[in-house]
Amino acid sequence: MLTLLHFIILSIVLFFIGIFGVLTRRNAIGILMSLELIFNAVNINMVAFSKFLTPQEIYGEIFTIFIITVAAAESVLGLAIILAIYRSRQKIYADEMNIMKW
Amino acid sequence: MTSLVFFYIFAVLIVISAIFMVTSRNIYYSALWLALTLFAVAGIFVLLNAYFLAGIQVLIYIGAVVVLTIFVINLTKEIEGKTEKQFNKQTIPALLALLTGIVLVVLAVLKTDWASRIAGWTNYDETAKIGNLLLNDFVIPFEAASVLLLIALIGAIAIVSLDKENK
Amino acid sequence: MDKIFLIGFLIPSLPFLAFFIIVAFTKRFKMISALISITAIFISFILSIMIVLFQIKNPAGYLKYDIPWLYIGNLKMNIGIIINSLTAIMLLVVTTVSLLVQIYSIGYMKGDEGFSKFFAFISLFSFSMLGIVIADNLMQLYIFWELVGLCSYLLIGFWYHKPEAADAAKKAFVVTRFGDFGFLIGILIISYLAGTFDILDIENFIKSGNISEKMLLLVVILLFCGAIGKSGQFPLHVWLPDAMEGPTPVSALIHAATMVAAGVFMVARLFPIFLSSPDAMLFVAYLGAFTALFSATIALTQDDIKRVLAYSTLSQLGYMMLALGSGGYVAGMFHLYTHAFFKALLFLCAGSVIHAIHSNNIWQMGGLHKKMPITSITFFIAALAISGIYPLSGFFSKDEILLSVLHSGNKLLYYSALFTAFLTAFYMFRLYFVTFSGQGKEHAHIHESPAVMTVPLIILSVFSIFSGFIGLPDKEFSIHKFLFLDHPEKGHFDFKVAMTSNIIAGLGILFAYLVYGLKVVNADMLRKKAGIIYTILKNKYYIDEIYLFFIRKIYYTLTEAIKWFDRHIVDGAVNLVAFLCRWAGGKLKLTITGKVQNYAMYIVIGVIIVILVLYVYQPDVMNIFAEVK
Repeated sequence: MLTLLHFIILSIVLFFIGIFGVLTRRNAIGILMSLELIFNAVNINMVAFSKFLTPQEIYGEIFTIFIITVAAAESVLGLAIILAIYRSRQKIYADEMNIMKW
Repeated sequence: MTSLVFFYIFAVLIVISAIFMVTSRNIYYSALWLALTLFAVAGIFVLLNAYFLAGIQVLIYIGAVVVLTIFVINLTKEIEGKTEKQFNKQTIPALLALLTGIVLVVLAVLKTDWASRIAGWTNYDETAKIGNLLLNDFVIPFEAASVLLLIALIGAIAIVSLDKENK
Repeated sequence: MDKIFLIGFLIPSLPFLAFFIIVAFTKRFKMISALISITAIFISFILSIMIVLFQIKNPAGYLKYDIPWLYIGNLKMNIGIIINSLTAIMLLVVTTVSLLVQIYSIGYMKGDEGFSKFFAFISLFSFSMLGIVIADNLMQLYIFWELVGLCSYLLIGFWYHKPEAADAAKKAFVVTRFGDFGFLIGILIISYLAGTFDILDIENFIKSGNISEKMLLLVVILLFCGAIGKSGQFPLHVWLPDAMEGPTPVSALIHAATMVAAGVFMVARLFPIFLSSPDAMLFVAYLGAFTALFSATIALTQDDIKRVLAYSTLSQLGYMMLALGSGGYVAGMFHLYTHAFFKALLFLCAGSVIHAIHSNNIWQMGGLHKKMPITSITFFIAALAISGIYPLSGFFSKDEILLSVLHSGNKLLYYSALFTAFLTAFYMFRLYFVTFSGQGKEHAHIHESPAVMTVPLIILSVFSIFSGFIGLPDKEFSIHKFLFLDHPEKGHFDFKVAMTSNIIAGLGILFAYLVYGLKVVNADMLRKKAGIIYTILKNKYYIDEIYLFFIRKIYYTLTEAIKWFDRHIVDGAVNLVAFLCRWAGGKLKLTITGKVQNYAMYIVIGVIIVILVLYVYQPDVMNIFAEVK
């Protein structure tokens, strides 16, 4: 039988894989993609809770729609910034962008 | 029972493709693994009876975000990963954080008494309900989201467009 | 709010309004500034008369109005006014003298660059002084007390480009601070003990006897310190003679009639508190008598007309303190009231002379009677009044003081007061004869001052003559029926005392006439005979020099040691802290790598640590459905 716990644990695993990606990828595009994983983990959580805990109200799904919207906007802007950085520095490795250090 | 089988298929697909996405040296492959992950998440949505969301997931994430990402990868010419290192120096701490994080949160979740909270499972036409809610209760956030998208669009164009000097 | 309270609040507010308007708007228009200032004080004067008329109907009553201000724990602090006979009489004195002096100043300050500024300061002073008078609690009294100190500083240093004036201003400020410091400590102790700043409540507290005798003595002496500083009692008298560097109207208003009398007024206001400590009263009496005698002897030898008057002021203030210390509440305030008029008159006459001669030295004057008749006559009246000649105002108040000293039974104080009266008459007429009689020096263009200056002189001389009649006993208008502590006193008149004081004053005048008027006795010969005493007096008992010695030799050595401690130990500690911060910063800055992913790592580690801590110490939190406690 499919239970809420299945979905929650799946989303936890997906979330931390995304965190790992954000922490370790050098390529800025890779970081952005890892962020999408995190968003998806959250979405699974939202929909699962909505379905199991409050089946009459589907606010969780509505929220998911908004999260997808924001994620789309975020990735568009992120990619645009990466492109602009690439134009000026010919590199998009996150650990080389360290002008703001001591 | 069928749903449980499908759940495990999708779950394994999600976890494996996500791991490949994160660890792949070639950023182009990463993007493709991401597409697979997102597709499997859409499958999970179907299992949860959220058909409309599954559709959005495929259309927006795979159709728009991943495609856009691949475009940018092409534009930045960073697809060859053989000479350059693809991971920074904090892989091991990040791995430790990953494992402890998973263990801690799973423990916390297991501790929680879900059974008493779970209501029944009902099947109904959620697409119509979502449409109703979006245009009634959530009409203002809905409009705000459209404005947000417009701002993101204009912002992206403004950031990427060339200066006069660079032309 | 009762109408009378509105009036009470308006009296000090109007001069403040005038100050504000002059400073903010009319600084460039000299005559308008003067008119605003004078109008404000004139209205206050009228209102003060209304207060007096109101109070006459019921002299024993008092009215009190409070607005809560600060309540700290058990300590209550209000802003409020109290209207009783003491307030009324003091309001009348301050507004009258202030009004006349301001009118006089139009003539005296004519052509001065700081004309508007002068009137602004005078208005500010009037505001502060009236604020002292109506204050019903010690904190408010202290605030205005410091404000008059500030005004005094500003006005003494009015001609700040003169180094003497600037120095005198600083000296006045610093010296009075010594007294004010004690005053503040006294206020804080008594308010802490009584739990209130309100004067009447404090009086009730002391009457209830919840305070030990020694503590009471300490508090009263500390409070009296304020009066010592402000009223120039020994040993803090040194600032007042130097304060004569200010414009003469200022000397008349602040350093003769009103501000220096604030100390006396304060003692009178707190008189029930003072009365409850007989030792402190004795101290007040002795200090007053000593200051009176001490300053009178210095006044004998001074050459500067204003300094003579300054020492005379000190002496008269000592007299008032002596009266209060002997239990003569009415006598002290009565003398304050008459003294305000004739001393202001003396100063304004001196100002008139200085205005004509452009010098303060009495030996450069002489024979001015013919050239400045009004000034001369009014000065003569004032000198008679201060000497205590019947029937001028000074006679009544001085008689009252002598009587109260005699009633207190202390013969020593009585005879010292009589001797002071002799000296007073002598130095006042020395001043008069040297300045106005005899042969004129060669001053071609000396003429009487303009009417704007002489009219206030004439008005003040009328006051000097007649204001004493309220001291007549058993009359309808007698001051004893208006101003009293518990119940109206009858008022006494002792023919013997009156005769003695008159004869002694007459002797003083006669002696001065012989030496300086007729020159029968050679002044130089007297001087030589006095020898060393004369030198000591001339140098004001070397008090200033003694203070300077203490400051230069002892105080500076001490401060050198403290300076070393501060530079090396205190600053060293501060520098050590700074060095540690810098060192730690140098190490910690290495964590700021500029790489986003490092920062993300810090966040993730932080979150995991928080989860772990919660897990260990508060496992319930991890259950998201746990009941919120």
